[in-house]
Amino acid sequence: MSDAYREVSRESGVVATTLISDPRPPTPDPLALAPLQEWMQSVVTHPGDVYEAAEAGAIGVDTVVLPSKTLQPIQRVGIYHSMYMLRMIEALEADYEALAYAMGEHAFGHLVREYVQRFPSRSYTLNRLGDHLPEFIAASDLKRKTFLADLARLELAMTHVFEEAEAAPMPPDAIASVPPDRIEALRFTPIPAIRLLTFACNADEVFQAWREERVVEPRRGKTWLAVHRRDYGVYRMPLSQEAFTFLGSLISGETIGSAITKFARRFRRMPRQQELFGWFRDWSEAGLFAAIAITEQER
Amino acid sequence: MNRFNFPDLGIGIGLRTVHYAHILDTQPDVDWFEALSENYLDTGGRPRYVLETIAERYPIVLHGVSMSIGGTDPIDFDYLRKLKELARGVNARWISDHLCWTGVSGRNVHDLLPMPYNEESLRHTAARVRVISDFLETPLVVENPSSYVEFATSTMTEWDFLAALAAESDCGLLLDVNNIYVSSFNHGFDPKTYVDAIPADRVVQVHLAGHANHGTHIIDTHDNVVIDEVWQLYGRACARTGDVSTLMEWDANIPDFETVHAEARKAEAFRGSGESGVGGRRRKGSGESGVGGRRKSSSKSLRHPTPDTRPPQDAEAVHV
Repeated sequence: MSDAYREVSRESGVVATTLISDPRPPTPDPLALAPLQEWMQSVVTHPGDVYEAAEAGAIGVDTVVLPSKTLQPIQRVGIYHSMYMLRMIEALEADYEALAYAMGEHAFGHLVREYVQRFPSRSYTLNRLGDHLPEFIAASDLKRKTFLADLARLELAMTHVFEEAEAAPMPPDAIASVPPDRIEALRFTPIPAIRLLTFACNADEVFQAWREERVVEPRRGKTWLAVHRRDYGVYRMPLSQEAFTFLGSLISGETIGSAITKFARRFRRMPRQQELFGWFRDWSEAGLFAAIAITEQER
Repeated sequence: MNRFNFPDLGIGIGLRTVHYAHILDTQPDVDWFEALSENYLDTGGRPRYVLETIAERYPIVLHGVSMSIGGTDPIDFDYLRKLKELARGVNARWISDHLCWTGVSGRNVHDLLPMPYNEESLRHTAARVRVISDFLETPLVVENPSSYVEFATSTMTEWDFLAALAAESDCGLLLDVNNIYVSSFNHGFDPKTYVDAIPADRVVQVHLAGHANHGTHIIDTHDNVVIDEVWQLYGRACARTGDVSTLMEWDANIPDFETVHAEARKAEAFRGSGESGVGGRRRKGSGESGVGGRRKSSSKSLRHPTPDTRPPQDAEAVHV
């Protein structure tokens, strides 16, 4: 039975044969399943209240939805409409707890309303909903947007690290087994669950203070951080700019020798032996690397 | 026994993040667990590790909220492929999702949105369920949702639709007796009629949960104990199906594990044999095969509609 037939028969009882012989192309039934779902989604996800949502819809609510003994059609649709935004706020608040606290309930709710219009969920999991929030904040006209975007990037990195694939770290003494004359040819395979972050402010310090229910005011000034996972727990490791640069080179696949060269160009000095020992001790103990290798090219 | 020979696993609990530590530490005497599928896809972290560890000791069933069985977007085979892999990895006894749609035009509203119950949506949904079951290589188990609207284009009741869907697509049914109660209140039908009309031989599992009654309508919140009327519906369903795998859902304001377990075990009073765990933990290793028939050998491995997505408290970041 064609959509055109069903549309007409519902309203006028015209028999099917009349329409089947009609040479005109069938008119899409606005109440067929696909347009009905489009309509309902547009109403449920509308950023205004349910009355504004209904006004904007292509079909009247009363045409689509029946009343109950206690609720009018628009009130019934309103249940889905109100739950949608609550769900979006709840999901993003779970991923961005410190950001939500820093912004306050009202401002965070307003941010989410705007955000999900620009970046609605397109995944089967809510875990991906917040992936664009840092960039959205950075492009906004929010006050303190630099700090808020940094805080969001920190929390997003923690979420990503939490979910990354598991890889056993190499033994902490693995480097000790490498002949000294081959050290510069070493390459490291990082664990997947690691992210390096540069901030324009003290985002990690503010985050830690929030965790401890202390107050630390945001202030400008570059900071560097590694977020990583060990034994299924997420950790944050503040780094100096020098350590961050060196670790970044290793994680991007460069050899120790190449990382040293880059370091020297960047800081106009060679890394001190004590620095290197300290860094590798900390990074190995933290389990940042899954493996080491000396490639043929370096031999 | 249902027509699919899916076993009666006994009385289970919905696996929730806040209970991970308790379950791993104490290995409670629970018959089985139901895991929210989407929480364990695309993650190699602690959730997947915990699920795989628990799956070594307990039967697992996967319950999804994003399959969009009734949706008009194309079926997401990437999602199904990952779901199938997960099911094999944890030896899932079966896979369930809801009679609903979750979004169109590439979007996901993350809600169990209601279907109009008519011939068009029946044909559409049955065809998709057949494709999904074929892909997963196991009969999909479809749950009746709670709903808050009725469509003008519906031409049949939800129970008639569900029965016809099951017959046309040869799927199993997950009978949520709380959802029946919620929808009966919201739409003004007799919930007993619904329970009596369901093809009992297709019921693989039953859900129990609490809800929030707002006077004019009921919201399916999963944040409370099961009310007496829902227990009576459960008893009525059991009288038709025989002992059937039963699962307590508690997704908001979640109390300690023992409180949830105690609430679930009230179901024992309604079960004919008075015994739980048939095919469940007490018969672990009995040789029953899960989805895909592969048994895991490695030693290590919304509230509706909102699955928990957050890192657990015991895995939070530590300043080092």
